[in-house]
Formats: sequence, structure tokens, C-alpha cells
Amino acid sequence: MIDSREASAALADIDDIVQRVKQSQLYELASLAAVWWGILVFAGNLVTWLWPIHAGQAWVAVNVVGVGGLVALRVFNPPHHPHGAAHSIRILLVFVLFFAFGYLCTNVVGHFGPRQLGAFWPLYFMLFYTLAGLWFGYAFVAIGLGISALTLIGFFYIGEAFPLWMAFVNGGGLILGGLWMRRI
Amino acid sequence: MAELDDIIHQPLRLKIMAALNALPAATGLEFSRLKKLTGATDGNLGAHIETLAKAGYVQVDKAFVGKKPQTTVTATAAGRGAFARHVATLQEIIAGKQS
Repeated sequence: MIDSREASAALADIDDIVQRVKQSQLYELASLAAVWWGILVFAGNLVTWLWPIHAGQAWVAVNVVGVGGLVALRVFNPPHHPHGAAHSIRILLVFVLFFAFGYLCTNVVGHFGPRQLGAFWPLYFMLFYTLAGLWFGYAFVAIGLGISALTLIGFFYIGEAFPLWMAFVNGGGLILGGLWMRRI
Repeated sequence: MAELDDIIHQPLRLKIMAALNALPAATGLEFSRLKKLTGATDGNLGAHIETLAKAGYVQVDKAFVGKKPQTTVTATAAGRGAFARHVATLQEIIAGKQS
């Protein structure tokens, strides 16, 4: 038989591994979501750069398809806790509030031009990514801060090719970040 | 008085069972992910999984995904029960009910 100190150490080992499993599962789902948004954001920025006249429709499509993909991801990977349905509704509300607040900032309080919009939405999105990382894992913080820094560099120093820069920085960054999450 | 489960009590096997038990029933972990989570070497992990499988605590499934062999380890109902009893015994020891 073991003493209480050894028993505590064994329980601490169990807690540690359970946390790692939960984080690993979270990273797996987050990785799929990041790659999905990365592909869409890459396409949205590319359309904005090549055919600026169609940028508006492209971004509406990106957001609708993006949120649709997340809903599908949720349906195929249902949450394993007792209040799953309420949790899913909260996530949907998070997106509604996210887009509503963003719209309020960019179209009501301020009147952002295409370049400002191209910088605002990734920075705004990455702010949530970074904040989430404070609870859910350092990978979110690294991806959030990395893409935010590159977005600001592009905003201040890249000229006409800013949407192309954002295709690689935001779209490519999310894809690479998502693939990186699967390896950690 | 409950007894500690000698098969589960070994540190690496405890980690393996804890990891598998954290998943929903009938959900397994790939060998490579289990290796990363536990920090074990291939050989060591394989040997301890075999011990757990012989005790009926885990089920090992081997399949090919494309051309790559993939081994998935899943906790059985007996394994989950044994793990729960083992954790309860550890908690009893801490609470001073056993020594």
C-alpha cells in the first residue's frame, strides 16, 4: 500500500494527463476550424485583390460559408457535456454578437474604407483568438499575436498589394497555424 | 477495504488509463497521440498497452489508413470500472481511510 503523499502524486498525474487530453482534443477541432477559415480568408482576399468590385459579395460568402462550416464541425463533433445544446446556442450567439459589434464599429460609429476593413476584421478576429488562448492554450496566443503583428505591418507598409499580403498573412497564417496545432 | 489495482498503478499505465478514460466511451486514441501525451517511447508504450490489453482493460485495433498502419487504443468497460475503483482508492488513502 502507498502513503497519502504518493496517492496525491498519482492523482496529480491523472489530472495532468486529463488536461492534456482535453487540450489535445480542443486543438484538433480548433485546427480544423483554423484551416477552414484560412482557406476562405485566402480566397476572400484574393478576390478583393483581383476583382475589388466583387469584394463585398466575396466577404459575405466567406462569412456565411465559414460560419456554416463551423456549425457542421459542431454537428459532426458534438460536445460531450450535459448542457451541449445550450453551449451550441451560446457559440452561435458569440458569432452574432461578434459580427454585430464589428459592423457597428466599421459602418455606424466609423466609416471604414476597404483598406481599413481589410485590417480591422483580422485584428478583431485575432483579438478573440489571443484572448481565448489565455484560457485554452498558448498556440492561440502565438497565432493571434503573429497574424495581428503581420496585419499591422501590411497596413502601414504594404501599398496596393495589401489584400494579396493579407491573403498570405491571414489566410496562410491560419492554415499554417491550424496545421501547427495538430502537431503540438 | 478497497485495494489499489496493481496493473493500473504502474505510472505509465496509470497515464494511459487516465488519458483513455478522459474520452467518451468507445472513443480511442491513436498510438502516436498516446505516445505524445504520455511522453513514452514506442517500445515502452507498446509493452504497457499489451499488459493492459491482457488484463482486458483496453482494446487495441489495428487498421490501415491509406497505406499507413494505424493502431487505436480504447478503454473497455472493465478498464473504465477498474480505473474508477483505483481513483476512488487513491482518494480514500488521501482522506486517511486507508494507509
